[in-house]
Amino acid sequence: MRIVIGEDLYLLRDGLVRLLTAHGFEIAAAVGTAPELLEALTTERPDVGIVDVRLPPTHTDDGLRAAIQARKQVPGLPVLVLSQYVEQLYARELLADQAGGVGYLLKDRVFNDEAFTAAIRSVAAGGTVLDPDVVQKLMVRRSRSEPVSRLTPREREVLGLMAEGRSNAAIAQRLFITEKAVSKHAAGIFGKLDLAPSDDDNRRVLAVLAYLET
Amino acid sequence: MGYVALELLLTGCIAFVLVRAKTSPRPAGLRGRIRACGWGLVLLPAAVMGAAMAGGARPLAAIEPVLAVILVLGAPRLAAKLAPYAVLGLALEGLILAKNYHTGFFGQVLYGLVPAGYNSGALGTRLVLPEAVLFFVFGVWLLLRVNAPGARPVRALIGRWRDPGRGGITPVWGLLLLPVTAMALLLLGPRYWFAMPKSELSTIVLLDVVIATASLVLVFRSRVWAAIVAEAGLLVLGTYGLAIAEFWPSVPGFVYGLMPLDVTHHASSGGALQGTALLGLGLWLAPRVMREYLTPGADPELAARAQRLTERVQTLTQSRSSAVDTAAAELRRIERDLHDGAQARMVAVGMSLQAAERLFASNPQAALALVAEAKESSSRALTELRDLVRGIYPPVLADRGLGDAIRALALDTPLPVTVDADLPDRVELPVASAVYFSVAEALANVVKHAEARLVHIDLSHRGGVLRAEVTDNGAGGADAAGGTGLAGVERRLAAFDGILAVSSPPGGPTIVVIEVPCASSSAKTSTC
Repeated sequence: MRIVIGEDLYLLRDGLVRLLTAHGFEIAAAVGTAPELLEALTTERPDVGIVDVRLPPTHTDDGLRAAIQARKQVPGLPVLVLSQYVEQLYARELLADQAGGVGYLLKDRVFNDEAFTAAIRSVAAGGTVLDPDVVQKLMVRRSRSEPVSRLTPREREVLGLMAEGRSNAAIAQRLFITEKAVSKHAAGIFGKLDLAPSDDDNRRVLAVLAYLET
Repeated sequence: MGYVALELLLTGCIAFVLVRAKTSPRPAGLRGRIRACGWGLVLLPAAVMGAAMAGGARPLAAIEPVLAVILVLGAPRLAAKLAPYAVLGLALEGLILAKNYHTGFFGQVLYGLVPAGYNSGALGTRLVLPEAVLFFVFGVWLLLRVNAPGARPVRALIGRWRDPGRGGITPVWGLLLLPVTAMALLLLGPRYWFAMPKSELSTIVLLDVVIATASLVLVFRSRVWAAIVAEAGLLVLGTYGLAIAEFWPSVPGFVYGLMPLDVTHHASSGGALQGTALLGLGLWLAPRVMREYLTPGADPELAARAQRLTERVQTLTQSRSSAVDTAAAELRRIERDLHDGAQARMVAVGMSLQAAERLFASNPQAALALVAEAKESSSRALTELRDLVRGIYPPVLADRGLGDAIRALALDTPLPVTVDADLPDRVELPVASAVYFSVAEALANVVKHAEARLVHIDLSHRGGVLRAEVTDNGAGGADAAGGTGLAGVERRLAAFDGILAVSSPPGGPTIVVIEVPCASSSAKTSTC
């Protein structure tokens, strides 16, 4: 699996390269600025781009902008955005094109390399992986808007775990229920959010997006 | 015989001055020389005027200007001391001239600006006395100004009424300018100066109206200045009244005070009585006017400004000290958070790793557990650092500015919050930070107390003021004075001249308004 890395701090960039190489990923490019990143993402067309939100030249959200720009030029280009802090605002902007293949994680999630590589694979496959911090904030919000308010507490819980990019099996394990029950909840969620039957991955993305949009 | 003595005296003077001029240092440049001459320069026009006045009557008259030039250049100080006496002499000659105008006294050709003498026109007869009065007033003023010999007794005389004792005048005295103007217009108005026939009445009335309007404007703009001008008018008109009494019937004018000047038998007594009254009022008023003028606070505008400035200084002193206190407390909190939080955790990480290193060969399992523990600790430290950074300066605010930072804040609030932001591209960071934390506090209060179902935040920038409005449909009854949170917000905003206002009737809605001027006096907060 080919990967492009955009990270301005040399130590972290180098660490990521070593970590991912050790797990069998191929590093197509590792760059340190937003313009270089945009160039690498659009020419290399990696399976996943791993992007730091804050990059030169302005050291604000240049990395995020470059990722969104790259996805405009290459629709559905999978990107996993890393940051020292997570904002729902940025998650919404990343997911707004409804194309999936988006990850948004705190940088410390790299410590857990099992979960981190799983997240990369999930994003590469078109899934949505949001940081538990983002999801947790979503869970406490009392939504008034239809149709999300029609979800049962259990369904909201399942939706939250979906947003974190977990598979049905993982969700079942986490909630101590059967995988079949998870599928039932998922069907309930898709039904209440008026998501027409299509491939399951895309419906999951749309469901998460609907959740974020409330 | 007399002329010979005079000529000898003059020659002696000239020789003295020339010798003096040679020995004394000379200032460089024309400007420097003129400045060095000072008030002595007044001597030149006075001498020219004296010569012009004498005409052919005094053979030595032409020498006066020459003598004046030599004096001014050679002995400027002496010239300056002589100048007031030259002016007073002119005034005296004018008074004598006015008295004896029709007899052709001395055969003058020019007095001041007007041709005089038997054959000159009506203009000359009208203006000699007013000019003489003006010369007199100027002469006395110059006497005091250059401190010429004889100034001391005059000053002592003035000193008697210089101190008005208690109190000055009230600004109402500025209204005095209106009757003084009316009286001046009736006495020697434009119709008189320009000797206009009645057919040009409209022009005359227009000029009258212009002058009257000017004094009205002055009265409304500044009562103190109006009072000062009225005071000058009183002195001149009063002196003129006394001159009327003395020099009748050669005085010009139409109506003096209550009395037409062509009523012969009333003119003298009326002039004396009214002139004395006016002069008395003028002399009584003079020191009071001076005091008002010299004392700040006389003008209501000035007083209001002084008041505003005083209040501003008080406000700034308070807000500065509270800003310093807040900043110090904030630094203290950050230091403690780092000390007890991230720093302590990093120590733990180091210790775990060190222990793991020791156990690595002998007990790999235990070493692995320690490494996992170190990883956990470093993760916690990161979380704490992240929270700390958020509290100092939210990264999203640095990345995206105030509008998006407030939107992010709204998304993180467990209530439906709508945000309308109409802001310039970049709000200056300190102001943005203050407004951000203020709104955050207001939102936190809504979540904690209001039982609201809906919150709306409106951010706007109009007329140099950044305004944030947080409205909720909760229970209301919030009190800005009650909580410590809003008091903290007020202190935070005060450093930027910002204000916080809360409207929260029982039953709601609650509206919290935050306003921060972007164009305040401080350069630090001058732009948004």
